[in-house]
Amino acid sequence: MAAIAETRSDYRQEFEADSARRAGWLAPLQQRGIEAFESQGFPTRRQEAWRKVDLTPITQHHYPRVAEPGRVSSALTDKLGAFPGHRVVFVDGIYAPELSDLGSLPKGLTVGSLAEYADGAPERLTEVMGERVDIDAQPFIALNTGLFRDGAFVHVARGALVEQPVVIVHVATEAAQGHAVYPRTVTHVEAGAEARVIEQFVSPDEIEGLVVPVSEVHAGQDAIVDYHRLQEEGAAMRHIGGVHASAEGNAGCRVYSLASGAALSRVDYYADLEGEGVDLQLKGLYLTEGRQFSDQHTYVNHRVAHGTSSQVFRGILQGRSETTFDGLIRVFEGAEKTSAEQQNRNLLLDKMALSHSNPRLEIFNNDVVCTHGSTVGELDETALFYLRSRGVSQAEGKSLLTVAFANEVLENMRDERVSNYIRDRILDRLPGGENMRSSA
Amino acid sequence: MAVLEIKDLHVSVEGTEILSGVNLSMEEGKVHAVMGPNGSGKSTLAKVLAGDENYEVTSGQILYKGQDLLEMAPEERAREGFFLGFQYPVEIPGVSNTYFLKAALNAVRKHQGLQEVDAMEFLELIKERAKTVKLDDSLLQRPVNEGFSGGEKKRNEIFQMAVLEPELCVLDETDSGLDIDALSAVADGVNLMRDGKRSFMVITHYQRLLNYIVPDEVHVLVNGRIVKSGDKHLAEELEASGYAAFDESAA
Repeated sequence: MAAIAETRSDYRQEFEADSARRAGWLAPLQQRGIEAFESQGFPTRRQEAWRKVDLTPITQHHYPRVAEPGRVSSALTDKLGAFPGHRVVFVDGIYAPELSDLGSLPKGLTVGSLAEYADGAPERLTEVMGERVDIDAQPFIALNTGLFRDGAFVHVARGALVEQPVVIVHVATEAAQGHAVYPRTVTHVEAGAEARVIEQFVSPDEIEGLVVPVSEVHAGQDAIVDYHRLQEEGAAMRHIGGVHASAEGNAGCRVYSLASGAALSRVDYYADLEGEGVDLQLKGLYLTEGRQFSDQHTYVNHRVAHGTSSQVFRGILQGRSETTFDGLIRVFEGAEKTSAEQQNRNLLLDKMALSHSNPRLEIFNNDVVCTHGSTVGELDETALFYLRSRGVSQAEGKSLLTVAFANEVLENMRDERVSNYIRDRILDRLPGGENMRSSA
Repeated sequence: MAVLEIKDLHVSVEGTEILSGVNLSMEEGKVHAVMGPNGSGKSTLAKVLAGDENYEVTSGQILYKGQDLLEMAPEERAREGFFLGFQYPVEIPGVSNTYFLKAALNAVRKHQGLQEVDAMEFLELIKERAKTVKLDDSLLQRPVNEGFSGGEKKRNEIFQMAVLEPELCVLDETDSGLDIDALSAVADGVNLMRDGKRSFMVITHYQRLLNYIVPDEVHVLVNGRIVKSGDKHLAEELEASGYAAFDESAA
């Protein structure tokens, strides 16, 4: 038998270097995280879920975690003000109080940095953090769990109604060039409470780093949560993230996602319907141009009866970009009266763009209604001619039809500031849409 | 002055000639009816006038208000006051009727050097015009033509025409599939807009619509050619005798 060399990976070495300053309550979780990463290693294209992704830019070199947060450029500082709300900003993974605005938090709302709990965390944080994310299913989630240094904690107390959104911004700076950042967010909305969260990822265009975030969102019994994830990093960034949403009985949980940034972006969305009567919506829009690669995977788990879920993902592709959508509905034994739908549509605005769509159903139960559909198509020439025949220019007509295509994801968003913002980001990429901007 | 002059127009679709030398001249303020059997080229004529690129003009000329129409993009034609009422109005999910019409009206106004229409004024305008064509108010906020009945789609075309106030309106089989109530609503909409300056080309298979919209001239289009022109009585003759006689003479 060949001897097996005991080598410690670069990532484990980083983990071990942290040991002295790691908060005691986090140590077991982070230990499990790094172990899970070490046992899995980086995924390869032989694994079905990673078949379309070229990870070699990430796996060939070690991306050490950013040691000291960099300076935030004024262009990025401007981005921080996009949404009014209770704002908490992380720069290269570390809480930046000077950029945050957490004055006058309403009763029942806690927003803060995980690092604040060095001496011990309250139960309302420990009872959810890391409890549901599956570190054995996705190596990057394990890697984040092992190596995050700080993160956001959002807690809404039982029955509290938070009117203004909580805005979490993760900024990667020049310091992230060739380095990694591990943003972590835990949102816990307790029974009967209601809140909105906007989590945004930004970075300068030219910075090529690795961002590996994990966001946990938990809705208690009867809670209502609107969680928005806006991935808008610069054109050279590589972003591999995970979102884990879970909901107890009769909760309404809506997850909205925009993925428009980064050269390579991959997000895995896990959603668990844990109690009866949950209404879970997972809606996403991905915009790609140039040579961007964007990959979205969903895993919606109906664990109990009487659950409703809806997944709507739409892609708008330009240039030579490529996208993948891989969506799973899983109905567990006993989860009767499940109603689940999944829809993925892709609009190719340029001939060289390429889109893959892979819907999957795993149903271990009778008496359920599950539907799915996926399409890849171009702009409707007949509709465009109809618009032009009324005086609308070709460029404006294309913009109008493209935004219309995105509307199914946008029009049911409860926060118009977010849907208008996303509409404007679509128009940023299209000529002739000036009249259609929310400010116009 | 002629608002429209079509001279020896030949049009092909995918290599097959559909129009084989159409000549037609329309004076300002007049209503012309173009009648003909299925497949005679009526809708091809309408689509070519609107600028549909699926139709290839192989020879001939079209002058609109003295300008070369074939040199103009579809949107330029519209901005210059040309309007086509579609035989099959297109559904556009995700775009509200109101939004669409506002974009269209502002494009026309901008071209004419006018200010963009104020939101309140626009709302009042469309409400008033919807009434004239008996279009249900609730359809204004719905996506363009999506889920509309056949009659609602046609009324929506006439409604758009009433808002955009074009100079030359071509109505392509607007009567097809309409019941008598919808037909009279559409005709009322058109008649209200007849002001001695605005011109209409009403394309139809049947004489029925022409009882409501009385034409100044009637043309019979058969096998891609206008084989006979006359006054409104020609339509009545056609109703009695059918197109068969012309078909034989053309063959």
